[in-house]
Amino acid sequence: MLRTERVNKHLGSFSLREITLEVFPGDYYVLLGRSGAGKTQLLELICGLTAPDSGHIFIDGKEITRTRVQDRGIGLVFQDFALFPHYTVRENIEYSLKIRRLSKEEADQRVGHAAEEMNITHLLSRKPYNLSGGEKQRVALARTLVTDPKVLLLDEPMASVDASLKDSIRRMLRRLNREGQTIIHVTHDFGEAISLANRVGVMHNGRIIQEGTPLDVFNHPVNRFVARYAGIKNFFRVTFIKSYNTCSGITDKTTKFRLPKADYPASGLLIIGSSEVLLSRQGAPGIQMNNIQAIIDDIVPSATGYEIAVNAGDYFYVDITHREMEENNFVPGEKVFVSFPPEAMRFVGESNGKKNSEQ
Amino acid sequence: MKGQTLFTWIFTVLAALVLLFIIAPLAGMFLDSSFSEVKTTAADPEVQRSVWVTLVIAFSATIIFAIGAVPLAWIMARREFPLKKVVQGIIDLPVVLPHTAAGIALLGFISRDGLLGGAAQKAGILLVNNGAGIALAMAFVSLPFLINAARDGFAAVPERTEKAALTLGASPSRIFFTISLPQAWRSVVSGFIMMFARGMSEFGAVVIIAYHPMIAPVLIYERFNTYGIKAARPASIIFILVALFFFVLFRTLATERRTIFRSEDDAAD
Repeated sequence: MLRTERVNKHLGSFSLREITLEVFPGDYYVLLGRSGAGKTQLLELICGLTAPDSGHIFIDGKEITRTRVQDRGIGLVFQDFALFPHYTVRENIEYSLKIRRLSKEEADQRVGHAAEEMNITHLLSRKPYNLSGGEKQRVALARTLVTDPKVLLLDEPMASVDASLKDSIRRMLRRLNREGQTIIHVTHDFGEAISLANRVGVMHNGRIIQEGTPLDVFNHPVNRFVARYAGIKNFFRVTFIKSYNTCSGITDKTTKFRLPKADYPASGLLIIGSSEVLLSRQGAPGIQMNNIQAIIDDIVPSATGYEIAVNAGDYFYVDITHREMEENNFVPGEKVFVSFPPEAMRFVGESNGKKNSEQ
Repeated sequence: MKGQTLFTWIFTVLAALVLLFIIAPLAGMFLDSSFSEVKTTAADPEVQRSVWVTLVIAFSATIIFAIGAVPLAWIMARREFPLKKVVQGIIDLPVVLPHTAAGIALLGFISRDGLLGGAAQKAGILLVNNGAGIALAMAFVSLPFLINAARDGFAAVPERTEKAALTLGASPSRIFFTISLPQAWRSVVSGFIMMFARGMSEFGAVVIIAYHPMIAPVLIYERFNTYGIKAARPASIIFILVALFFFVLFRTLATERRTIFRSEDDAAD
């Protein structure tokens, strides 16, 4: 449906490089990356607000690289919604319909339908300045959806919305996608990607460094950056050591991990999920278990309990529940053991990761 | 707190002195003139004609030049091009020129031997010593006020609203008239008022271009030269009152609109 081929764009001190991606009909594709990764610039290239220096953009097999914005059939909802402040909600929504010179009856019908879909019928005579963030979001969506876009581009749609409204917006976006709307959604929030996307592209420094299903990206991050982005905090660059009947990995700070028996390259990244790490004062039993002595550095309350940062030379992050905290009453400065079975560790190839993470 | 009080006092006194400096001469002029003198002068057809001519020409000059000044302001706000700073300098030039010098420069341009004047004469229009010449002189010195205010207005329009209109299928001209201009309108109107007010009070450039038809500032000057300060004072009072009336009227209209827009912006923030 939408395809970009080796798109490059130089923007002052920043460049989008070799962007190749394909979005299929009905996809909910999330572009994930932190601020300054080039996500918004890529959206502007796709919808034609800027032109690439090189590369090609296709929609339904037809090249649109130099096609005017007005003729691409791509809708864009801006992060700050960009509603027209001097128009009412109705005038905002019917703006594109007036351009297309639709009859008043048809325009009214379309506005009414879009307003109903977005649940904003009661707001039609209001001006944007006295709408809430969530209402503005729905008006901006209605304004774009009346154009029947082939692809809907959403630039950080949750960024200007209260946390309490995010769920309803998420439901609305999922419904739109279920009804067949192809969506490309830009965000910096991995949770948002997991809850909405069927495919994810991770952007970093103007490149797409990993693509796949959200679960793929989470389980097999290609490098340290993606791992961090996916919310994985325990990742370690290690050198692998193989002796007669054991395999282990050792970090630069000499933290040593016991690994399952396998063939390992010379070095790589090890990832351990925060919830898979146990924290105790005496260490966990089991001959294969990794028990690493450490000191509690910080205890931070989280939604589900506490996140405890422990210093073992390298830092480990451990999630514990409120009940575990009540039972153990950990305090900063205390000596503890971090424990995890060898199976809790995932291995990520160093060469790929290193190359990408240093870009 | 004591320091702050002293600071406030000093600033209040300094501010009051400046305000007094502006008000005192005007108040003195009003106090030194009797009501009957002002009334008699107001009934003088020559005075009435000069005030009328001043208002009509200043207003016409503002309207006509706004047709080019507003697009220029938009270009200055939205486009990057080589030598943009030089162009901005050219726009500001009339503000720093001595107005008589501006008049001389303009005279060379619009007299029969000048580029514009020669072309206008071929079309049967004489630019010197008539209303058209006065309008050009007024516009020359007052255009920067409109261009700069409108430029600031266009620059303050969120570019995203223009981009959004583009993605919704609007052409650049439609975006200008339906998105950019309505949002920059208050600044454009404010610039319009400033240009009108500045043009209306112009003397230096106008007197070089056209002594007749006599605009109010020239009439006041002529009465002062011929009959002295006592004769010039009532004419000055009448012109000040008329100018103030129109200035306050336009300003009020623009402020009402600005208040509406500002409340929208505040709510949006």
